[in-house]
Amino acid sequence: MDAIISVRNLKKSFTTEEVLKGISFDVHKNEKIAIIGTSGCGKSTTLRCINLLEFPTDGEILFHGENILKLKNLNQYRAKVGMVFQNFNLFNNLTVLDNCVLGQMKVLKKSREEAVEEAKKQLGKVGMLNYAGQAVTTLSGGQKQRVAIARTLCMNPEVILFDEPTSALDPEMTGEVLKVIKDLALEGMTMIIVTHEMKFAEGVADKVLFMDKGVVVEEGAPEVILENPKEERTRQFLKRFIEK
Amino acid sequence: MKIDFEVVWRIIRKNLSFFLHGVKWTCLFAFIGTFMGFLIGLVLGGVRAISIEHTDKPFVRLLKRFVILCTRFYVWVFRGTPMMVQAVFIYYLFKPVFQWNSHTAGLVVISLNTGAYMAEIIRSGIQSIDPGQMEACKSIGMSFMQSLVHVIMPQAIKNAFPSIGNEFVVNIKDTSVLNVIAITELYFQTVSIAGSNFKYIETYFITACIYLFLTTIASTFLNYIEKKLDVKRNVENMFVESH
Repeated sequence: MDAIISVRNLKKSFTTEEVLKGISFDVHKNEKIAIIGTSGCGKSTTLRCINLLEFPTDGEILFHGENILKLKNLNQYRAKVGMVFQNFNLFNNLTVLDNCVLGQMKVLKKSREEAVEEAKKQLGKVGMLNYAGQAVTTLSGGQKQRVAIARTLCMNPEVILFDEPTSALDPEMTGEVLKVIKDLALEGMTMIIVTHEMKFAEGVADKVLFMDKGVVVEEGAPEVILENPKEERTRQFLKRFIEK
Repeated sequence: MKIDFEVVWRIIRKNLSFFLHGVKWTCLFAFIGTFMGFLIGLVLGGVRAISIEHTDKPFVRLLKRFVILCTRFYVWVFRGTPMMVQAVFIYYLFKPVFQWNSHTAGLVVISLNTGAYMAEIIRSGIQSIDPGQMEACKSIGMSFMQSLVHVIMPQAIKNAFPSIGNEFVVNIKDTSVLNVIAITELYFQTVSIAGSNFKYIETYFITACIYLFLTTIASTFLNYIEKKLDVKRNVENMFVESH
């Protein structure tokens, strides 16, 4: 089966530092990929390159075989590739409902009625429907992240990129957000998750990528990477992680 | 050194309609000037927030650079010269072209002048917004314009509100420099009145009181609005802390 997204020899440099030194991997439909690695290894940059919040220095990103780096209008592509941020980045001037409605109306050109209906459906899914009329600034971190996920779902994306979705949350809230993501995974949503939650990665992912210093050191099934890694670097990383 | 209050009363009674005429024009110029300046500031502040993207064609890039440079030039000139000089210069420079009267010219000058300050206020308002907001807009496929109008600007304006309001208060006073092109605002009227009665201290005392009254009303009103915006913010904070 053809990949939805193919990352080919992706490179990214910031001024002098080369953060990504040639990353390649494929994302197929319904696949859940977890990217793990130390802070600063390029995990987040990889995600941000995929929806072009960062523009790659070199390489290709194919979306259904088409190189998105050559696209003239990125907006339709970006609508199909959802992104959930570490810091939620909800629109602070809007209510919970309008956070989910705005993109549908402006990008997907839906009527307000259609958009509200979809927004309510997705807010219900993440358990936030009761908060629909509230200002987002009144929500807790876990609630914000659930709304952010609903906002992404409203765009009906083919893939969702999660950039450390629980790193800014305390353990209690982490659980509620991970549950939402897990439910999405069970429904068959295609996703790439950058995470430090190893248990979660093991439970949800079909494939785990371990990155270090801008390269993919090792990739494979979660039980292989997380239990019996071949590479010394992966073992070192996991050992340090368990010690913590 | 003494203010004769009997003389003050006499001047007020005799010249009330002159003073009121001046107040009318001062308020009108301050209000319209601030409002137009705000609109100019929105556009220019937005322009200065434009980022040059990798996907832009060379022509678009050049155009963006050019437009940004133009707004910088405008802000540079209008903030760097006195409004009094701008008033005389612009009024006479364009008089042969537009055939305008000094009041129209005055409105244009105060709008352009305020616009330059507003552009900087709006720009810094935009810069104070977390870059994550723009990234979130991009990530769901919104264009730069859509993001600016629906997400960034509403927040930037709210944050910049105290500075925007301050421009209005400043304009109430600064309209006085427009007397150089014979706009019959409060200061111009004062000069005429004092010129005929030679009671400079008393006449200017009245004028000072009127300016103070106007700016106080404006400040109080602005504070009230600001507090309304702020109260909402405080309640929100309380709510967050309680979690």
